[in-house]
Amino acid sequence: MHELGVVIGVVNKVIQVAESNQLQSVDTIVLQIGQLSSMIPSYIQACYPAAVDGTMLEQTKLEIEILPANAMCKACHQVFNIIENRSQCPHCEGDDWGLLSGKEFIIKEIIAQ
Amino acid sequence: MDTFKTLEIKESVFENNNIQADLLRDELKQEKVFLLNLMSSPGSGKTTTLVRTIETLKDEMNIGIMEADIDSDVDAHTIAQTGTRVIQLHTGGMCHLDADMTRQGLSGLNIDKLDLAILENVGNLVCPAEFDTGASKNAMILSVPEGDDKPLKYPLMFSIVDVLLINKIDAIGFFDFDLEAVIHRARKLNPNITIIPISAKTGEGIGEWADWLRNQTRLWNQS
Ligand SMILES: Nc1nc2c(ncn2[C@@H]2O[C@H](COP(=O)(O)OP(=O)(O)OP(=O)(O)O)[C@@H](O)[C@H]2O)c(=O)[nH]1
Ligand SMILES: [Mg+2]
Ligand SMILES: [Zn+2]
Repeated sequence: MHELGVVIGVVNKVIQVAESNQLQSVDTIVLQIGQLSSMIPSYIQACYPAAVDGTMLEQTKLEIEILPANAMCKACHQVFNIIENRSQCPHCEGDDWGLLSGKEFIIKEIIAQ
Repeated sequence: MDTFKTLEIKESVFENNNIQADLLRDELKQEKVFLLNLMSSPGSGKTTTLVRTIETLKDEMNIGIMEADIDSDVDAHTIAQTGTRVIQLHTGGMCHLDADMTRQGLSGLNIDKLDLAILENVGNLVCPAEFDTGASKNAMILSVPEGDDKPLKYPLMFSIVDVLLINKIDAIGFFDFDLEAVIHRARKLNPNITIIPISAKTGEGIGEWADWLRNQTRLWNQS
């Protein structure tokens, strides 16, 4: 499991942003995680308390938005989810497509006072 | 009353590792060391393929191997028997290597005397795909018994590698493994991927694989 190391990286980054913006406290961190990412949201939530323990983010909430593994079919230009459709366009059965989203793991924003 | 404000960050969490990986790649280029990151599921034949590769190339290149394992030394012992320099990296429970761990491993290998360094990553098709190790090129092995649906289940891994070795091709008669389907699925994800069917057991395809490595090492040292 690699989530803890990665979450510690997130926490350090957010503390750095908070300090450089002279924030008193951070209410919420919002992450965006793509469906193709190896980061499992429930594991991230599970190890988050350990990662913020003893830092200025101890009281900060963590929100996770999931970004779908969406692709656009090159034949019919419909957008579909490649995981749910086993990499094949459900509209025309084409399998030539370009990925639009799903690989990301991004610190989207923080909500602070 | 509290006033809340939203600060947009929009930064990839892998950004720091990506920066470290690019730095390492630049240094390896200066030193003329070609680093290959080899990934696969457990048991697909990474170590066996490495032994074959070493036997084929050891008279023409100085080779060093890094074996990443969560907790054992078995693979490092196997490699050491070929007389090649090998270092064991214990990831301490981590399921992948990042650029910093790779750098530490390389420093233990004494890279100024190497032409080719190969990292046997932790056996896993998910996590290593997301962490750039700083390697010159990335390779993966898919073995016949694992099934031809793996590109559908692990699209990220197939989309980031430069070369795909399809191993245990000697056993293809025992499994309903559709080689054409795998090639088709992998190319959909990654149009530029090189695909080489091999058998680390019989040696089939190892010549073509060694040529790929020779060629890549030469290109790396040129530009
Ligand atoms: N039939 C056949 N068996 C093979 C081939 N390559 C490897 N094997 C066998 O597959 C098993 C696993 O091979 P390893 O080389 O240890 O695989 P690995 O990927 O290094 O395994 P881990 O490090 O444990 O993830 C061994 O029993 C090998 O003898 C092959 O080309 N054909
Ligand atoms: Mg091995
Ligand atoms: Zn379509």
